[in-house]
Amino acid sequence: MIPEIWSRVKFFFAGKRRREVDEEIQFHLQREMEENMARGMNEKEARRRAAIAFGGRERAREQCRQERPVWTLESMWRDVKYGFRGLTRNPIFTAVAVLTLALAIGANTTVFSLLDQALMQALPVQDPGRLVVLSFAGDYSGHRESHGGSSEGHIHEFSYPMYKDLRDRNTAFSGIVASSTTRAGITWNDRAEAVGADMVSGNYFQVLGVPAAVGRVLVSSDETAPGANPVAVLNFDYWKSRLAEAPVVGKTMLVNGSPFTIVGVAAPGFHSTIWGELPDIYVPVTMQKTIEPQWDYLNDHHSYWMNVVGRLKPGITLAQADASMNALFRDLRTEEFTQLKDQSPKARTGFITKGHLNLEAGANGFSPMRQDVQTPLTIIMGMVLLVILMAVVNVASLLLVRAATRAREFSVRYALGATNGQVLRQLLAEGMLLGVAGAVAGVALVPEALHGLIRWMSSGSDGSQAFSATLDWRVLLFTVVVTLIASLLFSLAPAVQFWNPKLAEALHQGRGGTSGSLRFRRTCVALQIGFSLLLIVAAGLFVRTISNLRNVNAGFATDHLLVFNLNPLLAGYPPTGVAPVEQRALDAIAALPGVRGVGATNDEDLADDGVSGDVVVPGYTPPPNEEYDVELPWVSNDYLQTLGIPLVVGRYFNASDTATSDKVAIVNELFAKHFFGSPRAALGHHVSRPNRPLTDATIVGVVRDVKHESVRSAAYPTDYTLFAQAERTTGLIFYVRTWQDPDAAANSIRAAIANVDTKLIVGHLTTMRDEIDQNLLAERTIALLATAFGLLATVLAGIGLYGILAYSTAQRTKEIGIRMALGARRATVVRLILWEVMVLAGGAVLVTIPIAILATRAVRSQLFGVSVADPVVYALGIAVICVVAGLSAFIPARRAATVDPARALRTD
Amino acid sequence: MPPSSDLLQGTLDMLILKSIVLRPQHGWAIAQRIQQISRDVLQIGQGSLYPALHRLEYRGWIRAQWGASENNRRARYYSLTAAGRKQLEAELQNWERLTGAVNLVLKASF
Repeated sequence: MIPEIWSRVKFFFAGKRRREVDEEIQFHLQREMEENMARGMNEKEARRRAAIAFGGRERAREQCRQERPVWTLESMWRDVKYGFRGLTRNPIFTAVAVLTLALAIGANTTVFSLLDQALMQALPVQDPGRLVVLSFAGDYSGHRESHGGSSEGHIHEFSYPMYKDLRDRNTAFSGIVASSTTRAGITWNDRAEAVGADMVSGNYFQVLGVPAAVGRVLVSSDETAPGANPVAVLNFDYWKSRLAEAPVVGKTMLVNGSPFTIVGVAAPGFHSTIWGELPDIYVPVTMQKTIEPQWDYLNDHHSYWMNVVGRLKPGITLAQADASMNALFRDLRTEEFTQLKDQSPKARTGFITKGHLNLEAGANGFSPMRQDVQTPLTIIMGMVLLVILMAVVNVASLLLVRAATRAREFSVRYALGATNGQVLRQLLAEGMLLGVAGAVAGVALVPEALHGLIRWMSSGSDGSQAFSATLDWRVLLFTVVVTLIASLLFSLAPAVQFWNPKLAEALHQGRGGTSGSLRFRRTCVALQIGFSLLLIVAAGLFVRTISNLRNVNAGFATDHLLVFNLNPLLAGYPPTGVAPVEQRALDAIAALPGVRGVGATNDEDLADDGVSGDVVVPGYTPPPNEEYDVELPWVSNDYLQTLGIPLVVGRYFNASDTATSDKVAIVNELFAKHFFGSPRAALGHHVSRPNRPLTDATIVGVVRDVKHESVRSAAYPTDYTLFAQAERTTGLIFYVRTWQDPDAAANSIRAAIANVDTKLIVGHLTTMRDEIDQNLLAERTIALLATAFGLLATVLAGIGLYGILAYSTAQRTKEIGIRMALGARRATVVRLILWEVMVLAGGAVLVTIPIAILATRAVRSQLFGVSVADPVVYALGIAVICVVAGLSAFIPARRAATVDPARALRTD
Repeated sequence: MPPSSDLLQGTLDMLILKSIVLRPQHGWAIAQRIQQISRDVLQIGQGSLYPALHRLEYRGWIRAQWGASENNRRARYYSLTAAGRKQLEAELQNWERLTGAVNLVLKASF
């Protein structure tokens, strides 16, 4: 047995030696010849008969070789070798095809990896499919702290008492967790910094099934009474990157100046139930008063601030849970209603009857950010798909053009006895090689592209952000498989042309390709021109959008303006000490050399933020059911002057307005016109928040409207009051107008703040211009990628066009020769070629323009100040196409013009 | 030359194994033997004999050794291995079953 196996192993590698086979066949023939001679033939005849009887010796040899076990491998290797040789014979073609495939694979995998993270990836928790995100519909009164993502009928923030009732009285969930995200000041080893902090329910980690990497996670007993649980769990990334994985369990760190004991580090990969939120520490919700000293949320039914997620009990369906939870919710709302001031039937309807609890599958987590990135990423995805389509068409047409010029090669192979199968295998091998090379190059591109894109998207932000540069291997696998299949299919396309060719004819002509395949190639090129025009138009629209947004007049000068935030609460100041230290910080900065002005507000400008609410204006009778919300920023005395918001009438705030003087307000023109008809009429009137008499202030001035939320949105009616006269204290955003270079100014600002108190944390110091740019990130990303894809598409279209022109010109060498022999001039010949290009390009452009106008409608929401049919963009796009068409026609046209008639007529 | 009867797929292998069951033979002798015994009905296309021999050898059913021929020349002699013997038995049984079945059908009076 063993020797047999050994002999088979030996055969597998070595096979039988050719000489042995030859000798054996030789012996056979010899023996046959002897036999024939024995029958009386002469030697010559005997040899001849023996040879006839045996048949083709070479064939027999070949067949013996084919019986070898490694034959399949061997023949595959040979195909690959032929394929490789075939590809290297035409390196430019190969490079272009491989590059095309690589770009398609690379772009697709990169963008899809991000899209997948944003839209499809489940939270890294146990059994995420059982998670349910809660939101509610119905009226509410009081204070709601939202980080976005809520809409009418889908309020994602709950009060803490409501959360506790839902958690303790439900029957459908095995657990319900709540969390609220904010910022906190941390002091660790005498180093202070502002970090993201999640206030979470005690059961948060256990219900989600997130274990501790070190120490322990929070448990239900960490959520007992307000202020009684000074413990913290660290986020793994924060622990790793900022604390260098130091032993932390049992150690104390200051959070907003109060000591907290670190009990553990959460498992790596977990951040929050809210996708895109990246908290650095987690503290029990009962510590809210320490984290946000200006608020007292824990016993307040009218403060809506916690995001709530539940885990369904085993065996309970979403519909069952919905029914039982809504019954409970109605009971709870009814109890709550009895405590409200307004007991009118209308209020009852709004609060109880219209109240509803929404249960939504929450495997991916709730995310306000997801909606922000969804549209841009989908647009980018659309562009990537266009590029891939182009790449596919490009490679197909390249392969076809190449196949056409290889007719002779294949004719010779057929003539030498190659079977269809063998030719097919070689073509497949070439396609496979192209695909593999493209895939390898594409995959090599991906990590760099991912990093680049993420870096670009996070430029200017605090450093941490939601996307990770991990490549999704499923996406990669999918793309590679699709590309391989596609390239194999294309490689077969030429085979159809050569299938059983009329040998003699092909050899005679020395060219394959029929008018049919030429039409196909023309279609390919027309498609490419169309695709690239689409992408160029998209790029043009987005670039114009970005430049419009950048040049939008915000109403105040955005240059030479530095921004940072400062929250004394994070440094452990008691609420009463906040306003004085903020005033000291303002004074310290104002005293710096080179500073023209400094102002502060609690309502950041052009950062997609808003602090708004309704106001009461004595003497103004609102129409019934009027809901008129106004922006309510608290500002410093010099804020309006520092930003340069022009005064219309009255006066600015000045030094005589202090914490103890009469309360004053300045409103903008929109506000004044709405309530008083004209700016002048507003002066001297009073304005206050409903039911809050302490907020009553006298209007002393009216200023111009300026953009506030973002450069995209229009100005809001605004009521500026002084932070020093406000009911509560809060962190402020500082604006410093300076002549200095931003870096130098930043350093002196930091020094000045440290001079006030070293514990104060200067947060997110940047320039207003960078701030706006950061705010325009989605638009900038789309513009950048659209431009890149547009360029890429144009290059691809140019290559495709060149390919077909070079080929068709070569085909027409004889025709051109005849024309020239008959007296056509070179210019006529050039015109002939250019005409062909212009017909092709013109047709493609004409067909594409209406499609482009329709397609760009889909992205209209992302455009600003530019119509989807913007003539400049289209003219530019067409001009680019013309230039590319002209350039790619130039070489073939020149070659055609230099045709020597005498020689052309003699070819073939 | 009369056209050689088409052999059923796999039948050639069986015939080769059978023809060397008693003693080792070289290729030419195998072809001759099959032809003689079948009274010239089965003419082995010699082009296919050697690939078949190689195939059987790679499968480990036969073993080849160089030896001296009847007229004292070097020739490759093929002999059955244990596995080859087993294979031949299996194929014979199979063949009997098949021909028996075919005969039943053909001889049945419809």
